[in-house]
Amino acid sequence: MTIKTEWLDYDVIVVGSGGAGGQAASVAAEEGARVLVVSKDPIGCSDTKISEGIATVRASGSDDDSAAGLSENLRMGGGDLNVEAITDAFAQDSQAGYDRLRSHGLRPPIDAERNTPKPLPLPLGGHTKRRSVGHRNSGIAFGHASWNAVIEGSRIDYLEDAWFLDLVTEETGAGKDAPAKRVIGGLIYDASKGCLIAVRAPAVVIAAGGLSTIFFPKTDTMRGNTGDSYAVAARAGAELVDMEQVQFLPFCLASPPSYEGLCAGEPVTASFLGVLRDKNGKVILDGVYLRTRAECSSAIMRTVEAGNGSPNGGAYLDMTANKKLPRSGPYFMRFLQTCLPSAYNTARQALGKAAGKCEVEWEVRPGAHYQMGGIRTNEHGASAGGDGAGETAHGIAGLFAAGQAMGGVFGANRLGSTALTENAVFGARSGRAAAETARTTSHTANDDAFAPFIAETASRFGQKGDVAASALKLELQRESWTCIGPVRTADRLEKLAALLQDWRERLERVSIPAHTVWNQAFMEFEELRNMLETAEAVAAAAQNRDGSVGGHVRLDRGNISAFSTPYSTVVNRVPDGGYLVRRVARPRQPLKRLVSYKLQENWRKFQIKLLLMMPSGMQDKNLEKRYQAIMGASGAAPEVTPGGVDAAIGEATKA
Amino acid sequence: MKVEIVTHRDGKEATVGFEYEKRFEAERPMVLDVLLQAQARTMPDLAFRYGCRARNCGVCTVDINGKPRIACRARAREGDTISPVATLPVLSDLVVRRDGIARQMRGRLSSGGQGNNLNVEAPEAYHDLTACIECYACLDKCPMHARNFDGGLPGDVQNAEDLPDASKGYRWGNPFSLLKLQRIRIDPLTTDAGRQAAVDNAIDLGLDACVGCAGCKCGVGIDLMGQVVGELLEAAKDRLPSSKT
Repeated sequence: MTIKTEWLDYDVIVVGSGGAGGQAASVAAEEGARVLVVSKDPIGCSDTKISEGIATVRASGSDDDSAAGLSENLRMGGGDLNVEAITDAFAQDSQAGYDRLRSHGLRPPIDAERNTPKPLPLPLGGHTKRRSVGHRNSGIAFGHASWNAVIEGSRIDYLEDAWFLDLVTEETGAGKDAPAKRVIGGLIYDASKGCLIAVRAPAVVIAAGGLSTIFFPKTDTMRGNTGDSYAVAARAGAELVDMEQVQFLPFCLASPPSYEGLCAGEPVTASFLGVLRDKNGKVILDGVYLRTRAECSSAIMRTVEAGNGSPNGGAYLDMTANKKLPRSGPYFMRFLQTCLPSAYNTARQALGKAAGKCEVEWEVRPGAHYQMGGIRTNEHGASAGGDGAGETAHGIAGLFAAGQAMGGVFGANRLGSTALTENAVFGARSGRAAAETARTTSHTANDDAFAPFIAETASRFGQKGDVAASALKLELQRESWTCIGPVRTADRLEKLAALLQDWRERLERVSIPAHTVWNQAFMEFEELRNMLETAEAVAAAAQNRDGSVGGHVRLDRGNISAFSTPYSTVVNRVPDGGYLVRRVARPRQPLKRLVSYKLQENWRKFQIKLLLMMPSGMQDKNLEKRYQAIMGASGAAPEVTPGGVDAAIGEATKA
Repeated sequence: MKVEIVTHRDGKEATVGFEYEKRFEAERPMVLDVLLQAQARTMPDLAFRYGCRARNCGVCTVDINGKPRIACRARAREGDTISPVATLPVLSDLVVRRDGIARQMRGRLSSGGQGNNLNVEAPEAYHDLTACIECYACLDKCPMHARNFDGGLPGDVQNAEDLPDASKGYRWGNPFSLLKLQRIRIDPLTTDAGRQAAVDNAIDLGLDACVGCAGCKCGVGIDLMGQVVGELLEAAKDRLPSSKT
């Protein structure tokens, strides 16, 4: 049986139907484009839907919240790896982007006096203004908005259970000041119909999410994050930026298996007296609440490497000292329960009553959460290349990216509540730019260019072999964890490179039956192909950045000095295989900001010492006062978001 | 722990036994854990949907002993039978085609245009309905949805050609589609015409099937009878035959 191919014509293809894809599709359609949305999972079932549902809306809390201020906050948090034009665009469009979600049914709490959405009572860490708006039902409220945007779009067609396999491009033959390649469409596997669909289109927006599924444990992100965005773009020749910047949350559950990898807390939720211990009870990190995620993760991983880890490959987060103090103990429990309620509830369900009361330690280990790097674009989400901030003249014409798929927004670290706004802003921007490309391109797609993709894909159905893709995926997840996970070394990066070569050979021996409707083995094969591609890109970038910064922690190297010139890594795939890596310099923050950062860092370490030296009674009174100051009259802690700087105070001043 | 997994390939149904190996003595695995282990150990191509593992994304619904449950948060028990959701047509193994449900809502979601001021607080009930994760557990025993399959289940239809075309959207509605319409009705930004259109659409999707129905059950605890079906029946009471509300 040969799989059949249908042909379709559209102006814009949007890959993904979550927060970014939904907005890209709806704006492109409003701009007059005929749009096809392609989604492998059901419409709207993305990381957006399962997020904490807190979005950055500039000027929601005060009138003096300037775009320049928000843009600078993002770059300060991101260690200056971010692209300024992109953070500026984020800041300028955050309100308009958010209002588009409201036009699709998102309903926030309202500050009647200010006539704005009502932000949380305090600024989240790294934000200098109150501008983070929380929502009832968390991300599910945003999921309804993405769903509505796609389903109700009158010029939008969509396919779910459909896998966007590859971009089809052609050479432009233009000179060096114009893109050498342009998008002419893409190839799709429609699993529900059991056919291939070749779509001719001059513009494609990739909004297919992140890569956390290349690791296990991951956190509570969607299973479908198999790096599809990056792999599809890289195979077509697009540049990827800052791919080594994977954010790991340090305190994910290590057991029971059903809960493995789910987020249990953040450094700040460990509170003042939380410490990490090894299996012998020895303290391996104190002052956890003032530490960065990287400090916590590497303490846990170093202990595991030394053979002193917990039974499930982690360490113990011990918060019992907070709980035991007679005066401040009850405040602590209230703080823990309200600071990050979803994580607390998950931990209590998984670990039982005694753990929920913090009478015993929690077994924790790091988990993959968010990819800050991604497809290299300009401020309109258009593929970019070359030096500096990147120019579209050196990218692929007609290729766009939005949401977690794109890089350049967050650099080495992401502030809390920004991911949902990133979706809205760059979904809309890329949709608008893609429609514009479609308007100005004459449709002369060369069907011959599709032929090799169709032939190769068709030949996979009925492929004989002795390898199960689902098993190889598990192997890759384990090795990615060790080699490009929360801690990395030169040796391990080399080890992964060798493994990747072996896996690429085994990929050719994956057994795939011939049936065409919902062929699970073929899907596993395609996801594995994307996971291998993405792991290779991350490893290449990680090898180049030979010191620790942000989400990239090298055990065998020191920290990259905040006083050195910041740079981004840029990788692109070469046709014969492998990745070329280079560095692109970024402008540095003014010197006085860096000096203030160094002082803050030393002050933070001194505070930890001071608190631990106090006699217990004095400590108790001191902490009682501090809790009262934090929780105020409401008796509840300000909510933090997993992955945000507010949840890891030590990262708040990172320059 | 032994369970039975009902698989479908190329139109053929088979029941496969699987012995789950507990990873520690006291483990009480979820159904999703059982499926993941089956895939890892003995059935590498086993097809099933899952997403977040934390009961938020709504895609892993399967039938356990004939009742729809969310696999990532349903405990597996000795002798359980795990089968695809019976209310939708099977694509492969435990994967059903969901497309016909969302697609029937195309052209039915307009709120009649928005005013200039978006800064209006939504009522409590709006947020209650927004809690829906679209798991489709509510399709179980729904007489309105069953009209799509001659009053029965997709599995009762003998010839595949006689199944309704999901890619065009199902003709008849279900509690989920009614929830979406009711949500539009109580959105403070919906116009009067938009509210009216929502009721018209509910009637068009077969709201009359709800008259006298014993009721539907939500997978995440939304009061579907009270907050959705009851409200729509009340709004349409003069237009439905022998309304008993």
